Amino acid sequence: MDKELIESIVRDVLGNFEESGNSASPKRGSGLTARDYPMGEKSKDKVKTPSGQTLDDIEFKKIVSGETPGSELRITAETLNHQAEIARSVDREQFAKNLERAAELTKVGDERILEIYNALRPYRSTKQDMLEIADELENEYDAKINAAFIREAAQVYEKRKRLKGDR
Amino acid sequence: MKRSKRFELLDQRPVHQDGFIKEWPEAGLVAMEGPEDPKPSVKIENGKIVNLDGKKREDFDMLDQFIADHTLDIDIIEDVMAQDSRELAHKIVDVNVSRDKVKKLGLGMTPAKMVEVVGHMNVVEMMFAVQKMRARKTPSNQCHVTNVKDHPALLAADAAEAALRGFDELETTVGIVRYAPSNAISIMVGGQTGRGGVLTQCAVEEAMELEMGMRGFTAYAETVSVYGTEQVFVDGDDTPWSKSFLASAYASRGLKMRYTSGTGSEAEMGFADGKSMLYLEARCLYMTKGAGVQGIQNGSISCVGVPGAVPSGVRAMLAENLIAMLLDLECASGNDQTFTHSRTRRTARMLMQFLPGTDFIFSGYSAVPNYDNMFAGSTHDVDDYDDYLVLQRDLKVNGGLVPVDEEDVIKIRNKGAKALQAVFKELGMPDITDEEVEAATYAHGSKDMPDRDVREDFRGIEDMLKRGTTGVAIVQALEKNGFEDVAENFFNLLKQRIAGDYLHTAAIFDENFHCISAVNDQNDYAGPGTGYRVSDELWEKLKDIRFARDPEDIGE
Repeated sequence: MDKELIESIVRDVLGNFEESGNSASPKRGSGLTARDYPMGEKSKDKVKTPSGQTLDDIEFKKIVSGETPGSELRITAETLNHQAEIARSVDREQFAKNLERAAELTKVGDERILEIYNALRPYRSTKQDMLEIADELENEYDAKINAAFIREAAQVYEKRKRLKGDR
Repeated sequence: MKRSKRFELLDQRPVHQDGFIKEWPEAGLVAMEGPEDPKPSVKIENGKIVNLDGKKREDFDMLDQFIADHTLDIDIIEDVMAQDSRELAHKIVDVNVSRDKVKKLGLGMTPAKMVEVVGHMNVVEMMFAVQKMRARKTPSNQCHVTNVKDHPALLAADAAEAALRGFDELETTVGIVRYAPSNAISIMVGGQTGRGGVLTQCAVEEAMELEMGMRGFTAYAETVSVYGTEQVFVDGDDTPWSKSFLASAYASRGLKMRYTSGTGSEAEMGFADGKSMLYLEARCLYMTKGAGVQGIQNGSISCVGVPGAVPSGVRAMLAENLIAMLLDLECASGNDQTFTHSRTRRTARMLMQFLPGTDFIFSGYSAVPNYDNMFAGSTHDVDDYDDYLVLQRDLKVNGGLVPVDEEDVIKIRNKGAKALQAVFKELGMPDITDEEVEAATYAHGSKDMPDRDVREDFRGIEDMLKRGTTGVAIVQALEKNGFEDVAENFFNLLKQRIAGDYLHTAAIFDENFHCISAVNDQNDYAGPGTGYRVSDELWEKLKDIRFARDPEDIGE
C-alpha cells in the first residue's frame, strides 16, 4: 500500500477517535489555562485540522498548489473544547458554553447551519419543526447541548406566540 | 421682539441644526433613570430565578427568561443585590478593588440594579471605570471602508491605507446589497496589503454575513443586532435563541464575532415600553453575555440621534459602554454614525472613549470621506486624520492611529488596488482597469473614480459565487500574480481559524499574526503607573507628525 494512503487512513482513524472521544463528553480538566494561550503558539500539539494534520503541516505552498484543500482551514470540535477550557480558566463561563455548542456544530454542513438558523427566527417554524431539528441535531450529530437549547426555544416560542402561524 | 445680535449669531451655529427634544419617558425618550424603569429585585426558588426586576416568572418575556436562565449567576446574585448601589459604584472606581473582583459583581446584578449602580456615576467616574474595566489592556481602533459606488479598487486602496494607519479592524457595507461579496473581498485584499493580520468584516443581513464568513471573504462579524424589548427583537427578525445559535455557528467555523446594540433603538422602532434607553440597553448586554458572545458593538451606533437629542444622552452612551465592560465583554464603543453638525460636540462625545481607551475606540472611524460613508456617515473621517493625530500627541494618548508619510500611503494604496485587480482577473470578475487603479491610488473619494458597469459587476459576482469560490482561490490568485506577501497574509488570516485563538474576548492580531486578547493581554489597571501606558517606541512615532517643525531647520 502506498505510504501516503496509509498515513491518511491513520490520520482519519486517529481524527475520528479523538473526535468521538470528545464530542460525547467534552473533556473537563485536560488542564488548559490562559498560560496555554494562544494555542496556535503555545499549545500547537493540541491543535489539529479536520483530517488530523498539525498547524505546521498547513503550509502556504501546499494551499497555493492545491495539495492541501481549503477544507483543512477549519476548526475542530476538540480545539473548540480546548478553547472553552481556556475561557473557563479566565472566568468566562457563558463564552465557554458558546464554544461548546460550537464544537457540536462543527460537523453540521454550512447549508444546514444556515437553514437551522433561519428556522429559529420568529414565526418560521412550528413547535414540531423545532423539535425535529432538535432530534436531528441530537441523533445525527450528537449535538446534545444544541438539541436541548432548541427544545427550550420551542417552549418559549410557544409561550410567547412566536411560532409559525402566530402572526 | 427685537432680536439680540448675539442670539441671531448663535442661532446660526452648526449645533442649531442638531435635533434636541425634552424628555418624554412614555415614548422611551429618556436616556437614564426613567421614571418607569423597574426597581431592582430578584427572587430565587428551587435554583431558578422566579422574580426579576419586579416581574414574576410567568410574566417573563423572552429577554427576561433568557437573562434569568442563561446570564445571571444565582450563586452570588442575592448577596450582590443586597449591597448598596452606591457602594457598588464606589468599588467600580476604587483602584484598590481589582478589575477581577469588580468583574465578578456584574453577573450578580439584575439589569435594573446595574443601571442604578452606573446611575450614581458622573462621566469622569465612568471614564475612569472604563480605563480600569475594559477587557483588553491595549486600546485599539476600528474603521469603516465603504463608498457610494461600491467601487472595488477604491475599497481596496482605502483598506490598505487604513491598515497602514493603524486600524486593527476594518468594516465595510454596501450601497447596493448585491455588491456585498465584492466589497468583502476588496477590503480583505486591501487590508492584508496594508498590514498583515488586520481583521475585516462586511455588515449585511445576518445569514448572508455568515455565508461570506464561511467562504473566507471576511474574518469576523459584528452586525448581529440585539434589542432590549421582545417586540423590537422580533421585528429585527430574531430571538435570543436564534441569535445565540448564530453566535455558535460563527464559532464553529473559527470566526470571531460580536453583537451590536445601542441606546435608542427601541425608541426609534416604537416599542420602548416606556423604559429608559439605558435600561433597555442593559437588557441587550445581559442577553449578549448569556449567549456567550465575546463582545458587543455599542454606544448607540445607528440610533445615535435618539440619545443624542435628550438630556444626558451622551453620558448614557458612555454608561452603556461601561456596562458592557462590567460584564467582561469586548466593547467596540461607538463614535460611529454622525449625530451632530457641531465639531465641538462630536469631539466631546469622542473623548469619553478616546481618553480612557477602549477595545475599539471607534466602531467605525470613517477611513473614507463622509460622503462615501455608507453607514450614514461617521463622527470622524479622513479629513480629520491630522486633527486626531494631534490629539494623540497633545495628550499622549494611544487612539489607535500612527502618523504616516504621504509617499507610503500612495504606494500602499496603489499596491492594494493592483492586488485586487489581479484577484478580480483570476476570479473571472469584470476587469479593474489600470485607469481605475491609478484613480484609486490618488483619490480622495469616489468622486474621483470612474463609474463601474454595475450590471456587469453583478453578473461577475453571481458567477463567482456559483463557482463556489472561497478565500483559498484568492490566496492562489494573489500568489500567481506576484503578490506573494499579500497572499501569505491572506493565507495566515484564514489559517487562524484552525486554532481559534481570535474567538476569545477582544482579540486582534499584530503584524506577525500574534493574537492579542483579554486572555493574554488582560487589563490590569490598578492606579497610576499600572495598566496600559504608551511605550517609548510608540511615543516616538506618535510625536512625529509630518507637519511639526524641526528646531534645527528654523532660522535657516
